[in-house]
Amino acid sequence: MDSYSIKTLDELKEFLYRAMQLEHATIPPYLTALYSIKPGVNQDATQVLRVIVVEEMLHLTIAANILNAIGGKPDLVRPDFVASYPAALPDGETDFKVGIQAFGREALATFLKIERPAQRPEHLVGKGLIHRKTPAGITALASHPRHEDLHFYSIGEFYSAIAEGIKYLEAEAHEAGTTIFTGDRSRQITSEYYYSGGGELFAVTDLKSAQEALELIIEQGEGDGGGIYDDDDHELAHYYRFEELVKGRYYQKGDQPGHPTGPHLQVDWEGAYPIKENLKVGDILEGSELREAAIAFNTRYGEFLQLVTRAYNGQPNLLLEAVPMMFEFRNMILELIRNPLPKHPGKNGSPTYEIPGGIKQPVVTRQAEVNA
Amino acid sequence: MLFPLESAIRADAKTVAESGDYDIVIVGSGISGAIIAKQAAEAGKRVLILEAGTGSNVTLAGYDNLLTTFYSAASKDNQSPFPLNANAAIPRSPQLRKLQAGETDSSNYIVQSGPYVSDTVYTRIFGGTTMHWEAKTPRLLRSDFKTRTLFGHGLDWPLSFEEVEEDYRLAEREIGVSANVEDQQYLGQTFPDDYVFPMRGLPLSYLDQQVNKGIEGTSVELYDKSYPLKVRPYPQGRNGIPNPAYDGGKGYRPIGAVDTHQVEEGGRCQGNTNCVPLCPVQARYHSGKTLAKAFAANGKGGERLVELLPQAVASKVNIDPDSGKVRSLEVKIYKDPASPAHETITVKGKVFVLAAGAIETARLMLASGLRSTSGLVGRNLMDHAYLLNWALMPEICGTMRGTSSTGGIVDLRDGPFREKQAAFAIDIHNDGWGWATGAPTSDLLELVDDRNLYGADLRRGMVDQVSRQLLLAFMIEVMPVESNRITVDPQYTDALGNMRPILSFTVPEYTMKGAAYGRQFARTVFARLGAQDHTHYDPSDYGYVAYEGQGYAIRGGNHLAGTHIMGTTKTNSVVDKNQRSWDHENLYLMGGGSMPTIGTANVTLTLAAMCFRSGRDILKSLH
Repeated sequence: MDSYSIKTLDELKEFLYRAMQLEHATIPPYLTALYSIKPGVNQDATQVLRVIVVEEMLHLTIAANILNAIGGKPDLVRPDFVASYPAALPDGETDFKVGIQAFGREALATFLKIERPAQRPEHLVGKGLIHRKTPAGITALASHPRHEDLHFYSIGEFYSAIAEGIKYLEAEAHEAGTTIFTGDRSRQITSEYYYSGGGELFAVTDLKSAQEALELIIEQGEGDGGGIYDDDDHELAHYYRFEELVKGRYYQKGDQPGHPTGPHLQVDWEGAYPIKENLKVGDILEGSELREAAIAFNTRYGEFLQLVTRAYNGQPNLLLEAVPMMFEFRNMILELIRNPLPKHPGKNGSPTYEIPGGIKQPVVTRQAEVNA
Repeated sequence: MLFPLESAIRADAKTVAESGDYDIVIVGSGISGAIIAKQAAEAGKRVLILEAGTGSNVTLAGYDNLLTTFYSAASKDNQSPFPLNANAAIPRSPQLRKLQAGETDSSNYIVQSGPYVSDTVYTRIFGGTTMHWEAKTPRLLRSDFKTRTLFGHGLDWPLSFEEVEEDYRLAEREIGVSANVEDQQYLGQTFPDDYVFPMRGLPLSYLDQQVNKGIEGTSVELYDKSYPLKVRPYPQGRNGIPNPAYDGGKGYRPIGAVDTHQVEEGGRCQGNTNCVPLCPVQARYHSGKTLAKAFAANGKGGERLVELLPQAVASKVNIDPDSGKVRSLEVKIYKDPASPAHETITVKGKVFVLAAGAIETARLMLASGLRSTSGLVGRNLMDHAYLLNWALMPEICGTMRGTSSTGGIVDLRDGPFREKQAAFAIDIHNDGWGWATGAPTSDLLELVDDRNLYGADLRRGMVDQVSRQLLLAFMIEVMPVESNRITVDPQYTDALGNMRPILSFTVPEYTMKGAAYGRQFARTVFARLGAQDHTHYDPSDYGYVAYEGQGYAIRGGNHLAGTHIMGTTKTNSVVDKNQRSWDHENLYLMGGGSMPTIGTANVTLTLAAMCFRSGRDILKSLH
């Protein structure tokens, strides 16, 4: 066992917090790209993005379940939870950033990097974590909590470290006649509260269910051992769904990675609003309606994370109230994306995902006013 | 997965015509055909489904295209998502007009020969009418199965509630009904001790709650009996919260949808309010969900067992004159919905199932010259008579929140008064006056054209105008009457040369008596709510019916039944209690058409339950 592996329960909890942070980090880029698509075009791309966003939310919830199972407290309102975009993600030897941008070739290239099945090249096998100093102000996702400049080669390796850690700690606990799975069962989110979300959500209560939960996350993203499907249930892994868009062709059973042979599909690369990449509130003209809208969205998003935090901390029922909030997001994001950015000719607004801290009580009745 | 599943299962006409080894040939891909196909495939049988529509909505992209058509349609009637297809034409209510005495209107697909003009519709596309149903799933009451014995009206079923009860549970599982047992225990409805519905009941809308607040604790008197009033939730075929106690604690897993990607298996109900005609997230059940399971079934050699042949309009049932058995079906295959060009193929199989809906199944039988020993094919046409009553609530009630209808006043579904007049269930419509007046479009036009409002005033005006709208839709019982019927005539044909259905209907006196009482009942409810009655029935309305000096506009409910009625002998009915034709041993006529009475329950749940029974009978006959 190397010195970077997980050896304490507190460390495991911190790893799982970072797993949640990582899973959440893909949501703003995917969601923004999804809503940047102009109405009436890119039906296939819209579906691919929508499905993947929903599955990322599933992964976030699964990570919360694992954390809850070992007695942790999911916290989506910790000041560093939401990444500052562009943020760094593990991608092998070189640095790469994920940002907020419109749907297009560039965005897809990034998304493919996010979901890329990563296998170490010969010369790095068995070499441990990658050393890379992250510049100040950049969120380095899936880094090692004890060694901030050390990065996992891939998301898969990051989760493997967690899986190993759980196994090790549970074995250790077992020898002492106890278990690390001491979490309150009622804090688990089950399919009662979240279904039709790209996979089965089950309670994590022991080593076996924890391992299954981790496998689901890994397989949906990267595929199963390099295959294009995530399991035998004919589900394409995220990477290959994005690749279908790039290649303009569907995969079908029996296809080799990189070579889809199914029907053709159309992507309109110009069919998205020209939003300004990685916009910050500070870039928007003071006193403009767009700036107010961007702030309002960030505030609401903060309230959403507060609500989800409560849901993950023993009130799963609250997830039902999160649903209408997500409809609000769609409307609020569209408002930003479809309007011109003052003083930036040819560019439109965008959500900035600069989430203010300290939001306590989300207002869940706002949708009611919208509906009335 | 977004890969179009259809390419794997879509049959081609030539192969179908040459293939002689189908165990079951099914006409129609609605809920009846879907249940039979699934049951048969699970038993390893080879099934062919003939679908008159194009089948393009088998894929998610095709389904979304229907939504786009709906969103962009000027008229939001319940057929507006479905593209015109003269080869498989469907009735549409906005095209109707009032008939003069003795007049016949053949300008639309259904020929209306009066005297009453019915705006009843059904959908001839993949998924059948489940593509636009509202998905309310009440069971029939015990008494509905024996109205002749109990009330001297209608017909008794050859089956009791007890004999159907288990199949009701299968149907509720298939549809994935959302309901709470405690809400459904009224008027003698009982459930096994440990029974829970697959999903928890959907909440009552705010409008429902406001109505309930105004009437709960009050009652009405009818023929010396008192009926307490309250708003009760409807069981619904749309995704809610799966009940973990379902199936002895195994829980219920919502699965299956038109496409195969898990995330598209039908989202959770978001209260989009346009359940009719089409749920944007497939939360509402449609038979594509059952068919997805049927299509996935493989035989011993790994081959797919269920094939779908779209653009295939069954045109004639061929009978072997010696045995009386069905020998084959003549099927017209068109290449393009825009052209009547077609080829005709003959399809063979062991068992034939006509599951095309009460009007099309009867039409096909009659067009094939099959008139049955009893002479009852096409007769006893039933559909619930709807009487709309609309009013403005005294304060904002959030109309337009929730699905089309979440609750209703249902305590007058049964009682000794049924000796005298029809029973009814009242739906509270969350979508305002839309059905009655065309709201909110009509409100918008009024605010803009007559009141010159725009901007914030217009937005506020719309909220003020719409969010107090209350529509009570009285769904009134119609009993079987032999003269209410579907016929055919060679002078009325469609693009493919198939004879069109001719509808002759009179709203029976028993029903009108219920309607007259319903109007009075609505006034009572409005008074208790302090709501301002805006109900108005125009004599020029196509559904206008005069009764005892008063006029009423009666709407069809699309709950079609009776045209191949079920009974105890070949002289009093068309099918037996397994929906098998008395006259043709290997022919089953499925769907609402078999139902001898429909009480005050939407028909889909009951006809789905009956399909499970028939499916078992078919499998037995194949062994």
